[in-house]
Amino acid sequence: MDTVIEVKDVKRDYITTKGWFLRKKKTLTAVDGINFCVNRGEIFGLLGENGAGKTTTIKMLITLLAPTAGVCKVLGFDTYKEADKIRGEINFVFGGEMGVYRRLSARDNLLYFAGLYKIKGKEAKKRTEELLKLVELEDAADRLVETYSKGMIQRLQIARGLINNPKIVFMDEPTVGLDPIGANMLRDIIRKLKEEGRTVLLTTHYMQEADELCDRIAIINKGKMIAMDTPENLKKSYGEKGMDSTLEQVFLALVKKEGV
Amino acid sequence: MKKWMIYWQIIVSTMTLQMKQSFARPMFRFCLICNPIVNTIFLYEMFLTKGPDAFLNHVVLGAGLMGIWGCICFSSVGDINRERWSGTLPLIYVAPGGFGLIVFGKVFGNTIMSLLTFVLSYVTAGVISGQWLYIVNIGYFLVSMVLMIVCFVVVSLCFAYIMMLSRKTELYMNLIEIPLVFICGFTFPVEVLPEWAQAISNLLAPTWAARLLRMSVGQVDKSVYVECTGILVIELLLMVLFTIGLYHWMDKRIRIRATLEVS
Ligand SMILES: Nc1ncnc2c1ncn2[C@@H]1O[C@H](COP(=O)(O)OP(=O)(O)OP(=O)(O)O)[C@@H](O)[C@H]1O
Ligand SMILES: [Mg+2]
Repeated sequence: MDTVIEVKDVKRDYITTKGWFLRKKKTLTAVDGINFCVNRGEIFGLLGENGAGKTTTIKMLITLLAPTAGVCKVLGFDTYKEADKIRGEINFVFGGEMGVYRRLSARDNLLYFAGLYKIKGKEAKKRTEELLKLVELEDAADRLVETYSKGMIQRLQIARGLINNPKIVFMDEPTVGLDPIGANMLRDIIRKLKEEGRTVLLTTHYMQEADELCDRIAIINKGKMIAMDTPENLKKSYGEKGMDSTLEQVFLALVKKEGV
Repeated sequence: MKKWMIYWQIIVSTMTLQMKQSFARPMFRFCLICNPIVNTIFLYEMFLTKGPDAFLNHVVLGAGLMGIWGCICFSSVGDINRERWSGTLPLIYVAPGGFGLIVFGKVFGNTIMSLLTFVLSYVTAGVISGQWLYIVNIGYFLVSMVLMIVCFVVVSLCFAYIMMLSRKTELYMNLIEIPLVFICGFTFPVEVLPEWAQAISNLLAPTWAARLLRMSVGQVDKSVYVECTGILVIELLLMVLFTIGLYHWMDKRIRIRATLEVS
């Protein structure tokens, strides 16, 4: 099996300064030496409490942040030193209402990003129509995004994240704000991506979703990896003996055990 | 050939996007439309009693330059911050098209659109004075115009890149807006400034761009014009080199310091 994502002893600090005269520096370690690999065609889940370091890990993988120590490799390339070789092959979807041009229509948003991903005119148009259909935004495609609901913006984000037919898609809480139908649609999209041999790395706070979708799950706590396995094995090894534990129970037990 | 087509497509689509977005903002419309008209009226009144012979040149070009510079300060540069607030800055940063090119498209689009300030100040001056600015030598004027555009594009690129590293750049831009109008002689010739200030003026490329522009609407002394053009081109080349260096340095710092988002 090919390894498409490799994270080796990765650490990331944020340095924040306080005050403007006597500036006080504070270092916050968001990711503290984590290791994992993801194989081609896998759906890999990253779980953890708020502030555990999930988004920071993803940002390092999508070439947005430099690791403070360690190496992140995507498709065999270093995400800091060889970012140019990675950027066209991957894409990402972040949850929330950010990351779209609100004064443009959904169609114009997609066409614009298609251009930024070096997709040519005709192909870009075709791809845009396909994606609008996929996320069920065809009817609203020509309305300005500022008139969209939260879930509609989220759908647009998903479409944008697939514009370049990425080999790997990073999704950070992609189901935030989606109604059950939308969330179901996204799960179908993710499964379809897997069928096409694409890799998905996602974070979510919905344990059931992770359980249902992910081939393997890593749980991180305060920047450190505390468990990594298939959902079944996690439930077997960390659940209560002789009981059918849910992933949620496992997650709570694990995070509590690590303590505050 | 193919590669160039793609780059061209990115620049054009970014320019279009930029123009749409800028124009949708009341502040930009104010800078672009009200500002040059009001400035033309005031400059006209100021020059009316004390101005040089061809004072209309000073009025039209002064208000135009002030207007375009204002648009750059508030828009080309401020737009990086707007992208930051809307969460699109990280997206364009990692796009394979290259954020250098995208920022260039933005800045170029804005600068071209801001040329409207010249048209407005020309028309305003014409209406209130009953005289129309007459450009003696169109050739010189066009060359000066192109050099001025290049100059403003390079200046804005520099600031826009710095903006990606620090949000505070916008504050500094607001601070230097008015002083630069004076020190680069946009409205009054730099010769009215004290000598030490003129020394600074001569180091700044916009001073030479403004000088050329003003020269080109009157009787042109060819050797002086060529000399000024030479100085401007050299200063612009130095600035381009600086900007390229800045771009590469920034590209690393951005990822180390995590400056693309508001948090
Ligand atoms: N730009 C930044 N500057 C300073 N600190 C930051 C920055 N971004 C994140 N952090 C800090 O790093 C830590 C990890 O944040 P991160 O966003 O990776 O968490 P997360 O696991 O994604 O959490 P959530 O589930 O809430 O999204 C947090 O303590 C956060 O405050
Ligand atoms: Mg997060």
